[in-house]
Amino acid sequence: MSKIKVIIADDHELFRNGLTELVKKQENIEVIGSVADGNQFLNIIKKNKEVDIVLLDITMPNMDGFDVLKKLKDIKSSIKPIIISMHNDGNYMAKCFKSGAYGYLLKNTDEKELNTAIETVYLGKKYFNTEVTEKMINFMSSNSVSEKIISKKETEVLMLISKGLTTKEIANQLFVSSRTIETHRANILKKLEVKNTAELIKKAVKIKLI
Amino acid sequence: MSIKTLIAIIINSLIVFAVSILSITSYKQFSKVLDDRILLQLNSIKTLKKNQIENLIENEWNAFLNLEDGEHYLEDQKIKIPKNKIKTSGIYDFTPYHSEGKTTIGMVSIKNNKYTFGYIDYNKIKTILEERTGMGESGESYLVGTDFTMRSESRFYKDSIPSSIIVNTNGVKSAALGKQGKTIFKDYRGINVYSVYSLLTISNLKLILLSEIDESEVTIPLNNLKIKLIELTITIIFISIILSFFLIRIITNPINNMKESLKTMANGDYTQTIEFPKKSNEIKEMFTALANLKKSLQGAVEFSNELGKMNLNATHAPKSKNDLLGSSLIAMRDKLLEFRNKEKVNRILTKKLLFDGLEEERKRLSRELHDGIGPLLTSLKFYIENRIADTNQKKEMKEIVDTTISEIRLMSSALRPTSIDDFGVGPTLTNYVKSLENSININIKFEDSTNTGNSKISNNQGTNIFRICQELVNNSIKHAEAKNITITLSEFDNFVALFYFDDGKGFDVKKVTLGSGITNIYERVEICDGTIQIESNKHKTTFEIEIPLII
Repeated sequence: MSKIKVIIADDHELFRNGLTELVKKQENIEVIGSVADGNQFLNIIKKNKEVDIVLLDITMPNMDGFDVLKKLKDIKSSIKPIIISMHNDGNYMAKCFKSGAYGYLLKNTDEKELNTAIETVYLGKKYFNTEVTEKMINFMSSNSVSEKIISKKETEVLMLISKGLTTKEIANQLFVSSRTIETHRANILKKLEVKNTAELIKKAVKIKLI
Repeated sequence: MSIKTLIAIIINSLIVFAVSILSITSYKQFSKVLDDRILLQLNSIKTLKKNQIENLIENEWNAFLNLEDGEHYLEDQKIKIPKNKIKTSGIYDFTPYHSEGKTTIGMVSIKNNKYTFGYIDYNKIKTILEERTGMGESGESYLVGTDFTMRSESRFYKDSIPSSIIVNTNGVKSAALGKQGKTIFKDYRGINVYSVYSLLTISNLKLILLSEIDESEVTIPLNNLKIKLIELTITIIFISIILSFFLIRIITNPINNMKESLKTMANGDYTQTIEFPKKSNEIKEMFTALANLKKSLQGAVEFSNELGKMNLNATHAPKSKNDLLGSSLIAMRDKLLEFRNKEKVNRILTKKLLFDGLEEERKRLSRELHDGIGPLLTSLKFYIENRIADTNQKKEMKEIVDTTISEIRLMSSALRPTSIDDFGVGPTLTNYVKSLENSININIKFEDSTNTGNSKISNNQGTNIFRICQELVNNSIKHAEAKNITITLSEFDNFVALFYFDDGKGFDVKKVTLGSGITNIYERVEICDGTIQIESNKHKTTFEIEIPLII
């Protein structure tokens, strides 16, 4: 059985050394490279095609983790990236996930999780622990990008308009200023290509927005 | 000298001058007419008397000649006539030959060397002379001989013998030379008289006839007139002074009022509102002009006041192109406005630089903690994992390091979330609110309506929005004791709106103390060129902040 070939990309040498030492304990994992930034990493993989996994830090000089993920996607590389980062905010996780990361680990991860992650990803599966998953989903749910013509907020405003509420009432209900509601309203009218409220309701019903 | 005195002097001198000229002229005229009248009257009286006397003498003479010889008058014993001196028949003045000087008009007829003498009765002449019709009180007609002594009885010296009274007056002198005339001179008494005189020549008789009247009597009406005129003059002057006094008041009162108004204005008080009666158009116009001036100055004063209060939005309309004061004030306002704008720009710039510097420093520190200390600690953790053999000790040490790492992460995030630069303010606030929800007992909601991925909110604006939210949340928790907080961040094409709500106990918007978080918020809104509206009562506080986006 061939060993899992891993490259570590992180700008902190001590961290790289510690991680290398930790990974080396596993007999089935082999650290074949250790680089300080994205550029170095890309140089290595040009020469050495046989790389399975990269343990990738986000914050690095010259070329950061996000850019590396993008590059890997662009060149359709078979290398599976696992992010190992200090950032524990959902938006970082979500972005990495969207950009093609196979796993997301926090830097204070332990030996056991690290191994699990590498092994899981090596098999082609994704690895996100409970905390990461939760944060990621929380973030994504609150930032769901609607494919509809009008935004989530605008839909809310539209609903309230159709109920016959005044701008002031809508503003109070949605915790925004009257001017914000006015602007939303104007934007909805523009997007639906109508001129007044009556036409707006008609069109909204027609295209099943409400 | 006040205008009142001046006008009084001018008016009254004019009146006095006019009245005097008028009085003097009429007096002179009257006096001249009177003179002429009197002299004319005297002349007619004298002519009448002359004719009467001439007639009388003529008649007497004829009667004398018709007398038969022997019927002649007896020779008066008192008259010594020197016959050698009388050569021809005729009428003679024998008075000088009368021993008592009695007036004697003698008639002599010489026929064949025979002298016949006759005398004209003096009383007959006297009767003519004493007929004093039209002669007034002091009038007198008398005869004077060529020796300048009187021939008729003087009214004034009744006891004197006429021939003893010497009459050496101008009239007599002129008449003696054959002239006749009428004039005023001193008579034999040394009193001024109006006199008419002429020489009476009949045969050898030469007498001077004078009709005279005292000047003092003649001038009585003149004096009356004089007194009347003086009285009239005084009355007119008196009335004119009184009238001029009223006139002066009419003229000078408005001038004085205007003077007072101007004085008050000169002292810098433009607020007086006293109304004065205005009688003439000119005065009305003057007051209107003054009122306009006052209004204009008041406007200028109000404008300057506003400028003094640095209310540079105040406007002022100059009265005309030549309103230097107005134009200067406007120029001053514009300069001040320019200065203030410059100063504002500078102030905002300074503040921006300060905030930027602060933010940069926090960012650096945050990164240092996050990317410097953090990895070192994880390295330490790996070291423990790799090198510590004792399982319990290993576990304990790892836990301590984990806690430290978490703490470092929190500190870093509190200093400045790296998320702002990497993801924008929306996701950062989402994370921030999430972390708050976990750590404090408060219901806090954040709605992110920013354009994920292609937001136009700049890092700088994002940072300011984030800091404003931090400050607001901090206030809501610390001071307002709020239970519910709702934050909405809505991004539009050209602006981003932050709406913040809490149900805390509120604060007095007008009494925001300097150095509190609110001031900081104001400053941040200002450097973003945004607007802020705060409403606060005991149950509810809302902040509406709008920041323009550069398209």
